[in-house]
Amino acid sequence: MAKSTQEKIVGYLQSKMPQAKDLSLSQFTHSPGGWSHEIYIFYAHWKENGQDVTRGMCLRKDPGVGLLRNLSDLKEQYRVMQALESTAAPTPKLYWYEEDTSLLGGPFFVMEKVEGEVPNPWSKVGKQYYAEAAKRGKLPRSFIEALASLHNLDWRAAGLDFLGVPAPGTDFALREIAKWESLIQQSLRKPEPVLTEVLMWLKANAPKTQRLAFVHGAYRTGNLIVKDDAIAAVIDWELQVIGDPMYDVTYVLSDLNREGSPLLSCLVEREFFIDHYQQLTGLTIDFETCRYYEILYMMRSTAFWLSASGLFAEGKNKDLRLARTTYSVPVVLDMAAKALGF
Amino acid sequence: MLTAHRLLEEIIASLRNVIAPAIADPYPKAQAYMTAVILEFVSRQVEERQDVPHEKEQILHNLFADLGSLLNEKIPASQDPDKEARLCRLIEWLYTEKERLGPETFNTLNQKVRTTLRQLLDQELKIAGKAE
Repeated sequence: MAKSTQEKIVGYLQSKMPQAKDLSLSQFTHSPGGWSHEIYIFYAHWKENGQDVTRGMCLRKDPGVGLLRNLSDLKEQYRVMQALESTAAPTPKLYWYEEDTSLLGGPFFVMEKVEGEVPNPWSKVGKQYYAEAAKRGKLPRSFIEALASLHNLDWRAAGLDFLGVPAPGTDFALREIAKWESLIQQSLRKPEPVLTEVLMWLKANAPKTQRLAFVHGAYRTGNLIVKDDAIAAVIDWELQVIGDPMYDVTYVLSDLNREGSPLLSCLVEREFFIDHYQQLTGLTIDFETCRYYEILYMMRSTAFWLSASGLFAEGKNKDLRLARTTYSVPVVLDMAAKALGF
Repeated sequence: MLTAHRLLEEIIASLRNVIAPAIADPYPKAQAYMTAVILEFVSRQVEERQDVPHEKEQILHNLFADLGSLLNEKIPASQDPDKEARLCRLIEWLYTEKERLGPETFNTLNQKVRTTLRQLLDQELKIAGKAE
């Protein structure tokens, strides 16, 4: 009989920890979150030197046909998190990276399961959670501090320049456009003239980057593990780049990430975010550039939804959540069109 | 946008192969299977909307007629029978030729294109407009 995923993972852990006796897993969960990767969360138990050991672990696997297609690179994520381990950025501790696709059907890595929770900001319960945390005040402060810790990072010293360093000027914005345009090209099933107009406008109006920083690329509640009203870890390392810190700032300021909540990312008062972020980073938020990046994010969202609905249409993924995104494309293009004044 | 029939087909498959088998309680399990059966009948009753593609075709026809009379030879010739693909090429051409066209001409043409794009979007939003 074929081995279950759980049995395969036990076998893998045993090979990595030959000293571990009676190795078993508990609370094994295939997380429904994450559209790009398969995520398994569990506790591993074993005996070592006569002692009982329990360790929470998280396994992230490349399914081969993730939402970001070839833009997502699991090895790169591992290298980024490895580089961040010795910095102030709160990230999970890494255990092993495995390239052998014969084990689980794709490359994967295993990391620490950071204790805490990741309330979904799009759910009613999640919104309530963040709204209550906002009133207490500690979590919004921690949210800004964690972002500032990324932007203040000496990324060259941390060895993150392997991500690619944009040239001065408009190179960062143009690189981002090119990246997402490549996903669009892979996903497009019919001409999208509104998207063409948005892309051409973005290329014609790319802003100059004032300063380069290590940018997460999707910094928001839902991509952060919370414990005791503080950010215990920043997760979802898929879209990070060396680029304009205003790119992350825009994502925080964006209406895209608060769905009707008056709070940024459903958590932070706008004025408090602006003041505290500027104070911690010494940067001045450039709102004109942020307006540009907001439109770039709308193009990026369109690329996501085109890719998702395309994967479903191509029969590569049967998840109905991806099918639903076929209706999201005109909605986000409508937002971009309105932002451009039509 | 995926067709209604394709989506119904996939929902039926998901109900039969993913959702219903995972339900232990017999009553909701029977409901899930019956939903799949009923949706198969519904699928035969549903016709894809034709008004949206017809309207879009007309909107695009109007734009090309308008621009043709305005610009004549300046617009690149395109044999693409797909008018939306032609519009994409036209938009790219406008931005590429922006300097040569000058701000006034570019803005006039871009405004006409954007008016058309808004009309096309409004057609798609007849279906995709926020439901929840």
